[in-house]
Amino acid sequence: MSILEIEDLSFTYGSLRNKAGNHVLSNLNLHMEDGESVGLIGENGAGKSTLLKLLTGLLDMQEGKVLVSEFEMKKENLNKIRTVIGYVFQDSDSQLFMSTVYEDVAFAPRNYGKSEEEIYEAAMSALKKVHMEDKKDRQIYRLSGGEKKLAAIATVLSVGVKLMLLDEPSVALDPKNRRNLIRILNELPGAKLIASHDLDFVYDTCERVVLLSDGKITADGEAKKILTDKELLEQHGLELPLSFSRKISF
Amino acid sequence: MNRISDAIVDLHKMDMEAGKCGWLQGIHPLPKLFVTLIFILLTVSFGKYDLPGVLKMGIYLIILFVLGDISVKLLLKRMKAVLLLVCLVGIANPFFDREVMFRLGTVTVTGGMVSAVTLMFKGIFAVSASYLLMVTTSMEDICYALRKMHMPKMFVTVLMLVYRYMILFLKEIQRMTDAYTLRAPGQKGVHYKVWGTMVGQLLLRSMDRAQNVYDSMTLRGYNGEFHLRCKKRAGGSDYLYVFVWSMVLVCVRMI
Repeated sequence: MSILEIEDLSFTYGSLRNKAGNHVLSNLNLHMEDGESVGLIGENGAGKSTLLKLLTGLLDMQEGKVLVSEFEMKKENLNKIRTVIGYVFQDSDSQLFMSTVYEDVAFAPRNYGKSEEEIYEAAMSALKKVHMEDKKDRQIYRLSGGEKKLAAIATVLSVGVKLMLLDEPSVALDPKNRRNLIRILNELPGAKLIASHDLDFVYDTCERVVLLSDGKITADGEAKKILTDKELLEQHGLELPLSFSRKISF
Repeated sequence: MNRISDAIVDLHKMDMEAGKCGWLQGIHPLPKLFVTLIFILLTVSFGKYDLPGVLKMGIYLIILFVLGDISVKLLLKRMKAVLLLVCLVGIANPFFDREVMFRLGTVTVTGGMVSAVTLMFKGIFAVSASYLLMVTTSMEDICYALRKMHMPKMFVTVLMLVYRYMILFLKEIQRMTDAYTLRAPGQKGVHYKVWGTMVGQLLLRSMDRAQNVYDSMTLRGYNGEFHLRCKKRAGGSDYLYVFVWSMVLVCVRMI
């Protein structure tokens, strides 16, 4: 079953509009199945973050069509769409603004008018998925970078989203926390669209990779196939993942 | 550590103290807020020369600071700027009100002096009572209690957001001053020539940060109102707290 359908999506920022060749995204088409993990790669300014913001309705649609689950991306559908799609910010501090972990994870179910029992259940279930249930009463500022990232993921999971968008999830994580995040993301059942420059991380978490360049999809296919294509990656300002480059050099 | 990081740590510590398992922390936020408001209202209701009356109200603070194991030293450290300000409020009174009230040996005490000290104590007591509420009650619980007391939704939302954004704002200032200090060794503070740029940058960066937080909130269903709920349920001890303190404070005011 399809969870995301993007057809001919184009986007330009403010004053750049109408100028030829300044599209951040240009006639982009993408299809994602339920439960699928897709890595979104591309050099800086390729349009990855813009695409994620469009998919969550943080930026207004200009051209094209986006279907999230069965809902078309329109202002009147935003509330429904945001129960299906969740966005994990690159900077966890932007995502965590309540005093304790539990309060932050319970924020979304509370806004959707759930009862206190349902909120507790949703929050605890989300915290269990990221193995943070024992830290529910902890003050946000006392969490490490890795824990903050997991708590940020839990804030999204507590709504029961089917598609999670993650913007540079491995940034500023130490190797142990990075490995832990990979393990947890692989355990999560829903679909994931992971925008990252960390190609090793993408390889470890995604079965499919989409390469974005100049607002267009230039490659879409099996992760291993794209991430081992040195020529393709270098053409678009990227490099082979470390794990592959080591194998090649040895 | 500089003063900004001290302020951030203090704010976090206050949050943490409010989450402790003490008996004062265990009381429902509504009775605590109610008693605090009664205390402040009764304290400021004393006449401008009624210094003994105002001082008697201090019993509330003494009892709660002792029973709640709240450090007065920390109060003075954290609230020193506000306390200094309230101490200065009545500083001009002795110049305008020169009517002699009594003599202490050779010292003539005027009405202005008494009213200045009375005003000072009223301010100190009000700030201390608010501090007491803040270190024993989380901001979410205070806002919950305010809503229960029919405080306008807009006011409570703004209070909640200001408290949260304040920490982000302070962190942004800290980042910028750290970056500046590292490239300006031996300089005391920020040179006045870069104040304009720094303030402009701070504004832009804070707006960017605030936008991210707001986006994160709207993505999680926020529509202009914090749906505050309190984990505690008001029980017998909470009603007793309100009753006893209301009686004590009214009696002290009447005597």
